[in-house]
Amino acid sequence: MAFDLDYLIGQWPALLGGLLVTIQVTVLSIVFSLAIGLVGAALRLFRVPVLSQLVVAYVEFIRNTPILVQLFFIFYGLPSIGLSLSLFWSGVLSLSLWAGAYQVENFRGGLLTVEKGMREAAYALSLKPRLYFRLVALPIAIRTSLPAMLNTSVSLLKNSSYLQAIGLAELTFVAVDRIATDFRAIEMFAAIGAMYLTLVILLSLAASRLEYRLQRPFRT
Amino acid sequence: MEALLDNAVFVGKGLAMTMQIALATLLFSTAISLVLGVLASLPKPWLRGIIHMYVEFFRAIPLIVNIFFIYFALPLFDIQLSPFAAVTLGLTLWGSANGIEIVRGGILSTPAHQWRSAWALGLKTWQIYVYVIGPQAMKAIVPPFTGLLTLLVQATSLGALVGVSEFLKVGQIIVERSTIMGGESPAFFVYAFVLLVYFIICSALTWLSRYLERRFNTGSARRTPAPQI
Repeated sequence: MAFDLDYLIGQWPALLGGLLVTIQVTVLSIVFSLAIGLVGAALRLFRVPVLSQLVVAYVEFIRNTPILVQLFFIFYGLPSIGLSLSLFWSGVLSLSLWAGAYQVENFRGGLLTVEKGMREAAYALSLKPRLYFRLVALPIAIRTSLPAMLNTSVSLLKNSSYLQAIGLAELTFVAVDRIATDFRAIEMFAAIGAMYLTLVILLSLAASRLEYRLQRPFRT
Repeated sequence: MEALLDNAVFVGKGLAMTMQIALATLLFSTAISLVLGVLASLPKPWLRGIIHMYVEFFRAIPLIVNIFFIYFALPLFDIQLSPFAAVTLGLTLWGSANGIEIVRGGILSTPAHQWRSAWALGLKTWQIYVYVIGPQAMKAIVPPFTGLLTLLVQATSLGALVGVSEFLKVGQIIVERSTIMGGESPAFFVYAFVLLVYFIICSALTWLSRYLERRFNTGSARRTPAPQI
């Protein structure tokens, strides 16, 4: 069975459509998961009663259950008690919740590296806790937790392929769907493998550019 | 709830299948990780290069694509695997890629003077590995490996997508069956139950991993970061 490049070129529009859905879902979920991570880490940093315990429970629960089951619970389970979301938003919600749990820990790790003296100094200068968080802790924490945040984002991109299981027409779904009709598995897997690798590399490049920019104040 | 109680035996079988995949994968991954991890720690750049490519490749490709490739594409080369074998192979390739890094990190985290002392005593390379480096590296290897086992247990749920009757698939079948027969979908409770069981198993393993880490507290030795799915 020879590698049929013409076939792949013919399938290009379909694959591109799938790729776009993958990118959309991933970008939205990265944004939401970072928001969850930021809020969750802040709640834990300031030890907000009840809420910080809820964040711990949320993080533990997400990290100790398979993302596929979380996805099924959101897409098939919730509608049976009257909460239904569209296919696309179910996917975004489950990926965001999953990655959010890891981002909480990433941000928290970054926040913990901010020295205690910083906080004392900020309070001595009569900064309010909110301002200390925004002006002092966050800029430092983001820099130190950036590599971990990137790791989670790359995992999120890869895990967007799980949405295939609920029938969202993203990259893996398109490929498997075509394989079922045309049996051109090698071509399809080569194509999506290359696409995922390219996306992962692009994401890493973007992150290292960002890291470089954020280091600017510290360069001489 | 009734749907689950009526199918208790079926649920049990699913859980047993999940454990079977997880244990088989753990066994194979550990074997491959130990061998390739040790080889990757040897001062042979070409060997390290090849193993590094293996590791990076299987960590960069989405796990699901990996399993689908084995299940859908290998038959084209006349390699027909059962769903169980396909999932086990896919997870093993992924698990060992992560395991190799853990083993290599553990070996490299042993202080350099241990190597030098062992050489000075005239030990052969294999003796250094078995008697000097191995026991010390184990402390750095075992806790993250337990963490990896947690991820492997979670990843077995992918078996549902290629038709292995593991825990999630059993839940899916129960939901479909009760929906058709009872007219009402028990999806919420069934999937909540599935989540809960996974949570109990994986929390126990996570707890064990943290306990071992504290127990083997390697002080300032470089810790290998826990893998992520």
